[in-house]
Amino acid sequence: MMTLAPQPTHQHADEDTAMPPRADCTADSAGGLTFDLTDTTEAGAAHLVLRLRGSDEEVSLPLTPSADGRLRAALPSSVALPEGRWDAYAQMADGEPERLVPGLNDLRSLVDRVPSGARGHVAVRIPYVTKHGNLTVRSWLRAPHAEAGELHIEDGGLSVYGRVYGVALTPDAYAEIRTRHEPSPLLKAEVTADGTAFRFTVAYGALAEGTWDLWLRPAGESGPRVRIARLLDDIADKKPIFAYPKVTLETEDGPLLAGPYYTADNDLSVSVTAAS
Amino acid sequence: MHISFLIHNAYGIGGTIRTTYNLANTLAEQHDVEIVSVFRHRDEPVFALDPRVRVRHLVDNRNESPGYEGEDAEHRRPARVFPRGELRHDQYSVLTDRRIAEHLATVDADVLVGTRPGLNVHLARDTRRGPVRVGQEHLTLDSHSTVLRAGLSAAYPRLDAITTTTKADAIAYRHKMRLPGVRVEAVPNSVPAPGIEPADGSGKWVVAAGRLAPVKRYDLLIKAFDRVRGERPDWRLRIYGSGKQKDKLRALIDDLGLYNHVYLMGRAHPIEPEWAKGSIAAVTSSLESFGMTIVEAMRCGLPVVSTDCPHGPGEIIDNGVDGRLVKVGSVEAIADGLLELINNDTLRHQMGGAALKDSERFDPSRIAERYESLFTQLASRGGASAVGRMRGSLHRTRGALLGGAYAVRDAGRTVLKKGHTA
Repeated sequence: MMTLAPQPTHQHADEDTAMPPRADCTADSAGGLTFDLTDTTEAGAAHLVLRLRGSDEEVSLPLTPSADGRLRAALPSSVALPEGRWDAYAQMADGEPERLVPGLNDLRSLVDRVPSGARGHVAVRIPYVTKHGNLTVRSWLRAPHAEAGELHIEDGGLSVYGRVYGVALTPDAYAEIRTRHEPSPLLKAEVTADGTAFRFTVAYGALAEGTWDLWLRPAGESGPRVRIARLLDDIADKKPIFAYPKVTLETEDGPLLAGPYYTADNDLSVSVTAAS
Repeated sequence: MHISFLIHNAYGIGGTIRTTYNLANTLAEQHDVEIVSVFRHRDEPVFALDPRVRVRHLVDNRNESPGYEGEDAEHRRPARVFPRGELRHDQYSVLTDRRIAEHLATVDADVLVGTRPGLNVHLARDTRRGPVRVGQEHLTLDSHSTVLRAGLSAAYPRLDAITTTTKADAIAYRHKMRLPGVRVEAVPNSVPAPGIEPADGSGKWVVAAGRLAPVKRYDLLIKAFDRVRGERPDWRLRIYGSGKQKDKLRALIDDLGLYNHVYLMGRAHPIEPEWAKGSIAAVTSSLESFGMTIVEAMRCGLPVVSTDCPHGPGEIIDNGVDGRLVKVGSVEAIADGLLELINNDTLRHQMGGAALKDSERFDPSRIAERYESLFTQLASRGGASAVGRMRGSLHRTRGALLGGAYAVRDAGRTVLKKGHTA
């Protein structure tokens, strides 16, 4: 029945090491996560530890027995989790923290998530499986936030439809399209606003070869600069799934290919490359 | 009973492996069960086995193993017992012929179960006197080449039973093959209950899952979704799986401008949490020898819109009650089926509830009972295998209930062991 064997006692046991602890992870629509450790017996004080990759920062959550006898830890949305990848460990009593592997991740409440943005920020935590098969939580904390929704590729340009959280759109709002190279040329696009919804169009013809990042200036030059990103669903790594057609641009220097993509941080950019 | 499965490769990730593990793990509650794998290409099985089930291999083809036999001279000579025309024939050899024959000549078991045609032929030819021989067909008779069918015709009369996954395929075996005295019985594949809450039918998502292979006809599904978008742009489609058709399907999505509505999700394991995110499942295949994904989706509370292709869907779905069967190969019919459920929330919820209930018949506890009953009847009818010779009692004595009530386990931990991400 493919239940997880608590310990391998079949004849390969001599080749196997102890099974790593496993956690089922359930998300709620407010951005909170619950971790349920399976096949683990309590041995004194236990904690679920999240360690931010590339830093010393860690968050330790107490593991307590739940009604069904499993150990449970909760990460409420009110606990701030700075942006990054948080590797999950189980720490039993005085033992060394052990890396957790994922069980069932129930992320259905994240799929079409619409946060309130009332506190001026948006917190997103998406548990995912690393390429080594371990459990990690990807976290974003944006204050304010500009969420990308539908993208339309038409008439030699990219139309971006999105929504702001934790900030209002003013009549001065515009979008910035910036390359990552110095000196950084900056293009502006007019924004059409309707309540918290916005849209604007990037004309590909104006873009030179390179990578262009899309930013929103909801209150014009005087207000915040907000990186446009797609965060509000259950998918930790958007790039391979949210794929869009590329358009060929004929230029004096030969044909270029232009198209939108999501970066490793799920921010929205446009790449313009030489067509091979 | 001592039950011994013979499988091509117990260390891989395919559907036959999964369903064999489900069955072996459940039978192990009351019987002595082992899985003998012809090949072993990695150290540990991908799926977790009940610790009571033993696994061993006959030929070691792990490149880094000291016992590596992939370069053995005998392994370079083509198989003679393993039948020609079998899809896996290229992987078999004089070495596998010999190892399998040695295994079957000495195996200490009351019941032997073969899990693919080539291995069933071995079972029929090489098994010592005594054990009951059951050959499972996980594909269909009609899908086999003429050469293979000839090989099966010669060997299968020596089996005690053949099991197919559908009634339609059982009928094909009975009518198209001369099998005097061989019991032919349809036993569907088992699917455990998911370890999560079923879908509540409120999400505006259609979900499909399977290899991105031509037979799955995801091109039709994507085209049908173009019509769905026209009428209901608030609904979207996720297709889980990987395969050679990916680039073609991607191009089709882009050509139709469906990139905001149709997503190729890649492989997902476990799949249950992904079904639970949807409200309707879609199957558009031109052929499904069984249709595991249909049962999986139903067990998560989703009504399935499926083409009425041979053989499985029509035997799983109660049309109009717990899902909808539509015409094979028709974009219009698929779109109609999807829109019927998208546009009628009450019907969708009703069918989802019925799907949850009706799919309980595929629970491993129920399927294991059917196998147990088959094995017991075959063993007691005598012939090659008299019950009197059966080693020990019919059941495991340890706390077992005679008559075979298998625990309905909440088997949501359909997880891969560490280090394998699907």
